[in-house]
Amino acid sequence: MARVSKNQSSEAAIAPPMAKDGAIARLVTLFGSLGRNRDKRVHYVFDAGDPNYKEIILPAEAGIHSIALRVPAAAWYERELHDQYGVEIAGHPDLRPLIFHENWPDGVHPMVDAVESVPWSNREYRFLEVQGIGIAEVAVGPVHAGIIEPGHFRFSVVGDTVLNLELRHFYTHKGAEKLFEGRSCNQGTLIAESISGDNCFAHAVAYSQAVENACRIDIPPRASAIRLIGLELERLVSHISDVGGLCTDVGFSVAASYATRIKESLLQASSRCCNTRYWRGIAVPGGVRVDLDTGKLLELSREVAEAAREFSDLAKLILTTPSIQNRFETAGILRQDVARDLAVVGPVARASGMDLDVRRDHPYAPYDQVQFDVPVTHYGDVMARARIRVEEAAISARIIQEAVNGLPAGSVLASLDTLGELQGSSAVESPRGELYYWLEARDGRLTRCHVKSPSFQNWPAMPFAVAGNIIADFPLINKSFNLSYSGCDR
Amino acid sequence: MIFEVIERSLRQPNRVIPVEALLGNCDGSRMPDVIASQLTPAISQKLVEVCPTAAFRIEECDGWACLKLSYGECIGCGKCFEPGEGAVVAAKSFTLCGNPKDQLVRVWDLERRTEIAPLRPEPGVVREQIHRLLGKALNVRQLDAGSCNGCEAEIAALTNPYYDLERFGIHFVASPKHADMLLVTGPVTRNMAEAVRATYEAVPAPKLVVAVGACGCSGGIFAGSHAVVGAVDAVIPVDGYVPGCPPTPAMLVTGILKVLRRRIAK
Repeated sequence: MARVSKNQSSEAAIAPPMAKDGAIARLVTLFGSLGRNRDKRVHYVFDAGDPNYKEIILPAEAGIHSIALRVPAAAWYERELHDQYGVEIAGHPDLRPLIFHENWPDGVHPMVDAVESVPWSNREYRFLEVQGIGIAEVAVGPVHAGIIEPGHFRFSVVGDTVLNLELRHFYTHKGAEKLFEGRSCNQGTLIAESISGDNCFAHAVAYSQAVENACRIDIPPRASAIRLIGLELERLVSHISDVGGLCTDVGFSVAASYATRIKESLLQASSRCCNTRYWRGIAVPGGVRVDLDTGKLLELSREVAEAAREFSDLAKLILTTPSIQNRFETAGILRQDVARDLAVVGPVARASGMDLDVRRDHPYAPYDQVQFDVPVTHYGDVMARARIRVEEAAISARIIQEAVNGLPAGSVLASLDTLGELQGSSAVESPRGELYYWLEARDGRLTRCHVKSPSFQNWPAMPFAVAGNIIADFPLINKSFNLSYSGCDR
Repeated sequence: MIFEVIERSLRQPNRVIPVEALLGNCDGSRMPDVIASQLTPAISQKLVEVCPTAAFRIEECDGWACLKLSYGECIGCGKCFEPGEGAVVAAKSFTLCGNPKDQLVRVWDLERRTEIAPLRPEPGVVREQIHRLLGKALNVRQLDAGSCNGCEAEIAALTNPYYDLERFGIHFVASPKHADMLLVTGPVTRNMAEAVRATYEAVPAPKLVVAVGACGCSGGIFAGSHAVVGAVDAVIPVDGYVPGCPPTPAMLVTGILKVLRRRIAK
């Protein structure tokens, strides 16, 4: 008892802020940084229901007290902080290494110390063991059977039923946050684009907005309109791809192939419009790098209209097919209380009754001038996540049409003054949900850039949706979450 | 309903892109091409300065100052187009996909404004070469060694109705034990290095390995990171490289077929 009170006096702790409904505010992210004297600090970012996020900064040299038991969404963040910064965290229920695997030696913290070459190690990692008669363990990955990213899934099953699923990720950890350090504000965009390649435009925009926020500038209206077109197109492509992927996972290959065809038509249209299939190298701090031809954008918007019409028809047919309904409905239910505890975001959150969308709740230009609905449903199953995506795809297509038709004229790039000490942040609703960048720079060079990716946020919720289902439904449930491994692992 | 989806599919036109239109096509990749006649030492210096991955270098070859462009390092960011002042443009075609590493580099003599050992145009015998590949099957296992998933998205597109890789007898398999070729993406991360070696070991000999994307070829934007071991060839032997960030499906088809052709010619 005496020891506990001693811990409480030496370690810093925060009281999580409350939202308007009396519950603890939604945790957006939690990360470390170094102060002027290279002293460790911890940043907590909450969404208490206001347009501005609430940031709390805590000195962490003497360690911090975990909030994970009150705010379960903080659990992975605190483990990451422990790995990256070596911050002591008292009262955390599970401080096993998260991002550094067995090959990483103890006591090396790359965000604090300069790491030249890291020696190879072979330390231990223990999975949670479920014990009992007839319980078997199934280990899957890191190398999976399809064209997908690596990660490890450890199932404890009894018969076909999954009792527990433990995730082991961070196989694609590339040290991206460290790589930002020392880069110019302009070059940082290239790393942001390679955090999660299929959502590269959302990352480029979120990063650029954070730099613009730090420099206190607004970008020209034409640039923000072009960004909106790119962001909504990325959402449309992603959602079409996800619904097609769900069909693949239930063996409905004709519909899956049809969806890949619609998706490809949009990628080729992008390539014709701006010589990049995934809108790489378009967004930069200050606006967009080169102006896009209005005629080509009109052509693109015609292709979008056609693709959206075809996808809407296809989705209607898919979702009214009885054998599909049989597989999608009641599979992989993510309960609303679990979704809230883990501060889940994006279509996954909206399918489990959480009414949130950065575009509406924390608007960034030009979403403050766009009218759109945010579809929400409370079923929380694979079908709900599919339906949310189908509805959002139609909305994105409409937003693109309006943006192209009302495209303002003028320049597309504002100049930036990055001299001095800068600090900024920004959030974007990416196809997977809230994406948040926080950065600090000195005389044009980044000194810290933190990336909160929706995948890092949502992965811990997936095992809760899988538990109680049969293991054969795992690929389907996993696909319905559509999380990025690289975006999570960074 | 299931039959309506099938009926709609049957009414679709055939979208498949003919192989001649795919080979060498690099639309949408922003791979740079250099117009030798426009090249000056001053422009070359600027190119070296703006390139974020040091794909452009000025080196001395046989006593002459030369500009080297290493496509394995290029991430297609397009930052060289503007300072290139017309000497650097987006390539209209790109035929190096599938080459060994030493043949991913092009060199220009800055004094004479000419390319040293310029690309030999790919002979117009593609159809004949493709015919020679027919009747043979190739099983490919894709392996993500730490990629950002950009390359995965483009590799997955190879099976869509436009690229339809199955028409060449090329098939993606679930196990490395069933594979003839590994298609490896990403810089190899520390956390994946062991799994990459084990996957390579599991492929039965003779095995072909193709490194995909700027990261697979050189580490790309992630080269030098403390959490990354290096390019694919830092861990396993590589037969051919497909540059690009990410390479487009057409570039992937070009690269895979070229590695296969080279193998058969051996």
